[in-house]
Amino acid sequence: MNNLAQAIWVEFLKARRSKMPLFTALGFAMVPLGGGFFMIVLKDPDMARRVGLISTKAQLTMGAADWPTYLRFLSMAVGAGGIILFGLIASWVFGREYSDRTVKDLLALPTSRSAIVLSKCVVVAVWSAALTVITCLVTLFVGAALGLPQVSPQVFWQSGITITVAACSTIALATPIAFSASAWHGYLPPIGVMILVMGLAQLTNAAGWGEYFPWAVPALYVQGETLGTVSYVIVILTGVAGIAATFIWWEWADQTH
Amino acid sequence: MNTAIETNNLVKRYGDVTAVDGLSLRVAKGEIYAFLGLNGAGKTTTIRLLLGMVKPTSGEARVLGTRIRVGERKPWGLVGYLVETADAYPELTVRENLEAMRRLRPGTAPKAVERVIERLGLTEYADRRAGTLSHGNAQRLGLAKALLHNPTLLILDEPASGLDPAGIVEIRNLLIELAREQGVTVFMSSHILGEVSRLAQRIGIIHQGRLLQELDVDELERNRRRRLVIRTRDGQAARSALLSAGFSADMTSDGTIEVKDIAAIEQPDDIATRLVNAGHAPTMLNVEEEDLEHYFLRLVGVEEGGAR
Repeated sequence: MNNLAQAIWVEFLKARRSKMPLFTALGFAMVPLGGGFFMIVLKDPDMARRVGLISTKAQLTMGAADWPTYLRFLSMAVGAGGIILFGLIASWVFGREYSDRTVKDLLALPTSRSAIVLSKCVVVAVWSAALTVITCLVTLFVGAALGLPQVSPQVFWQSGITITVAACSTIALATPIAFSASAWHGYLPPIGVMILVMGLAQLTNAAGWGEYFPWAVPALYVQGETLGTVSYVIVILTGVAGIAATFIWWEWADQTH
Repeated sequence: MNTAIETNNLVKRYGDVTAVDGLSLRVAKGEIYAFLGLNGAGKTTTIRLLLGMVKPTSGEARVLGTRIRVGERKPWGLVGYLVETADAYPELTVRENLEAMRRLRPGTAPKAVERVIERLGLTEYADRRAGTLSHGNAQRLGLAKALLHNPTLLILDEPASGLDPAGIVEIRNLLIELAREQGVTVFMSSHILGEVSRLAQRIGIIHQGRLLQELDVDELERNRRRRLVIRTRDGQAARSALLSAGFSADMTSDGTIEVKDIAAIEQPDDIATRLVNAGHAPTMLNVEEEDLEHYFLRLVGVEEGGAR
């Protein structure tokens, strides 16, 4: 694929100069900070009620103020929130070319359209992975600052694997969002698609079929549900289908925007 | 091979709408070819077909000898283009937008960015975000992107759009210079005949997707209608005198007499003598040439006021 490195450089320049990295980082920063807040509350619920951190009616069913609870909160945020946040990144990276009407400048160049699509996918993946890593580091920092009781390194490793699998799944599930941003020419339609798939994930979960609906799988996985191989295969196939559809769209569809 | 652009019976349909209908044209290398039509005539669709952005329903287009298919890459290193509006990444500066484009055009030297900034008069705005540029400067940036890599073929959709009169003259001179001194072929669309007649060597007129006429600028001059316009103290009496002399004289609503006979247009002095002898000396006598806009509208079948 010719000129891929330069295409990636250009995509990172566009991402860096926008406000989106800041907004998405702030969005994901809510995870460790929110988790930290609950850790403070769980450490001493009576104090939290007295100083007004929580209502006297608050039901604290989250667990205890310890690392396993805090890391589980982080995993669940990546499994569910990642779909929204990584989907937003994908919809912006692809959809902004249509919303800003700049896509036409990318279509008749010596750099292939496939290289441009791949460079965008690289940016989405790196950006999403970086957010996950930063969030994990902030979580570790906040947990240490709160003085959560020490646990064996095994707990951190296990959580690390869970978060990595959840992040990879949710990044893969952003590719159909990238396709919808391309096919519907902008970054608003894919947000509608995301709301739709999140709703369907809830519905299929409630009906007991969540393990077969790709966007429900990461949340089930981080909750510790026992999933068959078919669930992972469905997520991988959805990711592959999304990326293939995006490539085909950019290469073959009539580009009238 | 002296042809830069060639289309053969090119057709593009979107459902029931035929945007381009059997278009066959040929643009020679080094030529400035203006593609003229009203809004919606099919100009931009033709440009998108030439750039491989949309697939033809039938027919073919060749650019610099390469048959264009969707996703084709071969000729684009030699082609600079501007399609529809000049858009740029609003959060990047002018320089960064050009640097991004330079990197997507391998082989373009880093200094090309500064050179094109200077050439398009963007030096003052080089570090300004593109989103804050005026329409005219955004258009200059769009043209700068097209010219960045010293292309041998420029495909420009309404290149003067948004420019002030001084900017229009500047860009016109730039395109003429590129064609004359560097042999660059320019294929440009416009809806203003007066503008392109000062620039182009050949003009193709498209209407409702069909190429109505292809002509040289000299032919354009010959094809424009001329008329002799006369005013006298007594218009009706003067008209009667001309009618009895065998001329087809018409009276306009403001009392002006119009004569379209070739003999009258080529020998207005003869008409003046006749009128003087008849006792209706002209107070005004002028041979007027149909202006370019009227000529264009007449050709595409649109009367003044918009009726077709």
